[in-house]
Amino acid sequence: MRSDFRTGSVALMTAFAIAACGGGGDAGGDAGGGDTGGGDAPAAAQIDPSTVGTISGTINFAGDAPAMTAIDMSAEADCAAGFGADGPMSQNVLVSDGGLANVFVYLSDGVSGAPAASGSVVLDQENCRYTPHVFGVQTGQNIEITNSDDLLHNINASPSVNRGFNISQPRAGITSNQSFAAAEVMIPIRCDVHGWMQAYVGVVDHPYFGVSGADGSFTISNVPEGTYTATAWHEEYGELTGSVTVTAGGTAELSFDYSASMAGADVPMGEPLVIRHGGDHTHGQ
Amino acid sequence: MATIVAEATGQAILQEEHEQSFLRKYIFSTDHKVIAIQFLFTTLFFLAVGGFLAMMMRYQIAWPDQPIPGGGIFPESMVASGYILPEFYNSLVTMHGSIMVFLAIMPMLVGVYANYLIPLQLGTHDMAFPRLNMYSFWVMVPAGILTLASFFVVGGAAGAGWTLYAPLSARPDLTGVALGQQMWLVAIVLIGLSSIFGSLNYITTVINMRAPGMTWFRMPLTIWALFITAILGLLAMPVLSAAGIMLLFDQTIGTSFFLPEGGGQPLLWQHLFWFFGHPEVYILILPAMGFTSEILSVGSRKPVFGYKAMVWAIIGIAFLGFIVWGHHMFQSGMNPTLGLTFTVSTLFIAVPSAIKTFNWMGTMWRGNLHFHTPMLFAIGFVAMFAIGGLSGIFMASTPVDIYIHDTYFIVAHIHYVLFGGSLFALFAAIYFWFPKMFGRMMNEKLGKIHFWTTMIFFNLVFFPMHGVGMVGMMRRIYDSTGYAHLQGIGGTNELMTWSAFALYATGFLFAFNFFWSIFKGKKAEANPWNATTLEWQTPSPPKHGNWAEVPVVYHGPHEYSHPGVTDKDWLAQNERPDLPSPAGGH
Repeated sequence: MRSDFRTGSVALMTAFAIAACGGGGDAGGDAGGGDTGGGDAPAAAQIDPSTVGTISGTINFAGDAPAMTAIDMSAEADCAAGFGADGPMSQNVLVSDGGLANVFVYLSDGVSGAPAASGSVVLDQENCRYTPHVFGVQTGQNIEITNSDDLLHNINASPSVNRGFNISQPRAGITSNQSFAAAEVMIPIRCDVHGWMQAYVGVVDHPYFGVSGADGSFTISNVPEGTYTATAWHEEYGELTGSVTVTAGGTAELSFDYSASMAGADVPMGEPLVIRHGGDHTHGQ
Repeated sequence: MATIVAEATGQAILQEEHEQSFLRKYIFSTDHKVIAIQFLFTTLFFLAVGGFLAMMMRYQIAWPDQPIPGGGIFPESMVASGYILPEFYNSLVTMHGSIMVFLAIMPMLVGVYANYLIPLQLGTHDMAFPRLNMYSFWVMVPAGILTLASFFVVGGAAGAGWTLYAPLSARPDLTGVALGQQMWLVAIVLIGLSSIFGSLNYITTVINMRAPGMTWFRMPLTIWALFITAILGLLAMPVLSAAGIMLLFDQTIGTSFFLPEGGGQPLLWQHLFWFFGHPEVYILILPAMGFTSEILSVGSRKPVFGYKAMVWAIIGIAFLGFIVWGHHMFQSGMNPTLGLTFTVSTLFIAVPSAIKTFNWMGTMWRGNLHFHTPMLFAIGFVAMFAIGGLSGIFMASTPVDIYIHDTYFIVAHIHYVLFGGSLFALFAAIYFWFPKMFGRMMNEKLGKIHFWTTMIFFNLVFFPMHGVGMVGMMRRIYDSTGYAHLQGIGGTNELMTWSAFALYATGFLFAFNFFWSIFKGKKAEANPWNATTLEWQTPSPPKHGNWAEVPVVYHGPHEYSHPGVTDKDWLAQNERPDLPSPAGGH
């Protein structure tokens, strides 16, 4: 009799234990933090404003940039109609007056301590294109993904060290929120429905990053005084590093020089992620 | 502790009846009747859950451009900005099928009624292995918890369809579901274990523990059906469990049983799944056929027409069930000769199925029909199963199957078999054996309303599916409105959805009747239906151990309107017309 009861109790406890394990936490949930990302570092609320400075610079490009290629969006006429007479063009290499756009620049060494992330970064899908094409977020910072197109997109993020996600937004007005827990430069995001849609997000554990604009310029503000190593990342030409010293109230100049001859460089990138054992991560197949 | 010594067939039987704690009596019980009732409550819960998932699917199908009312209560990973997300829809489709098959209908047919009826109808005290019987329930509980919990893990519940075709199911990057799929697989292995435990018990009990005089061909058809079903379960479930473990290994430890990039074969999954899957179809229908035979006989006050033919038909269906699995794979690439073989073997199943159908009609023919609720549902079963069976013949033919493959025609077929078939018979069984289980009658008026509304709305939901399937609506499509060839079916889809809501609402009527009757229903006599089988010769509900005296069986199970009996129209199996009625348990 006693052994019956004991056996039964063990069965019940096992059931609940399995259920408890099975119902394990949602590590990919929302998280606060960060400013808008995409180039603007959040206000360093916990840092004495009198001790911070700004990094400003340009991403230079030497040589002939490859011609932009046309994207065939005929399958999505509504999206194609959103572009001018030339139609939608590729965004991977945008050079204007010697300045290279869409380069992610961040402090890769020398940062000690950083304000917590706050606010959200918006990643929009408009005319079957991600806006912005390249952006940065702080670890744990919320990425608000919206769909401005009244059609189905899926958002497939394929990191190497973070947990990936693959979610859909079947119509306009839908918003989803995601975040990454660990620093990782860069994470590719793609839409499997529209093969030309590609975005890249750089995740760093501080707010000191920026993305070059159309003219190649970038600004990283509210950086505590000190000497840092900065890294620039581009989806076709890879990484460059440089050193910069920031003084209180000052603006430090920092430039990176890419060239056409760097085409084919090694570009650090996440790979498709397979989640195993309910939380461990290994690289994809 | 009281000890009862009873004499039966000249042999002394010692039956111990002792005080039991609440836990031993109601939670970790080894009494087959309590275990059956545990299965009943659990499976009714999962029936409601599975139905709810279907309601969400139907809303999405009818109004894909409108946010779902109350969608805000769901996590953003399921319903975002009020819209059901495609990946959640995949989970709904997958989990509706999985829950209905593995956690609702199969355990309700077998877990509830094999448990409840085998010892009672065979005239024995309990199952051969009571403790194993308890385990068969308690192994299913974590499976159910895992299944429900999988909705709330990262990536959501399994989304590769209930058939889990590889490589879709084996590669999380294709569906976005990793942990949820693994939980499903663990759950399915546990359910397989539960089923194997149960099957071993049922087979052993039927072979070894029949009452004196209960020869093979005196067994009620319910027992025959459950016995053959148990054999099917014992042979088929281990295949699914093994395949499930292999798929789990592909996902977790890097094997490549089903992944072509590692040298595996996606087609192997289909073979293993359907080698289980087609016998599973008969696991889901044979017990229903048994209940129906029994209830039609009682309601017609006639013996079952062609009892032995019915038994051999059950055996024939079970045998053929193991050699037809390839008819699920006509589209997967198959040698035409092999395809023809599977076509022919599948068409053969129409023979024993037709024997059963005509014998049911023969049973009712010129009977003194009593249209009580169980009888209505049993008749409904025959009608709906006939439609489901006929649409199945379409699929047996390779050229036709290629056209209708993966369309709503298939959805219509499976629901005519599993809902119109299995579930109608289950409702018949619940109404029929409720007084034995709970000692009270279910409300007859509510029961009849339940039957007619179910009959009407079931057909309004599922019959038009044949049509939208023929038009080409894909079975798992999230939003059909974007396809030119499906522009004309919006109204039909809305009609089916409204009817589905009404059908689900009838479930609440049933649930009210069920729970209300447990406490407030009219007290039931031992034999309210004037039925002949042994379970009705004990009090309602039977006591622990079932019988003070093991009954002796003198004749077959369906002796209604027996010419040798003049004072009533039935003769219990333990009665002889030339002897006074046995004390039984009246």
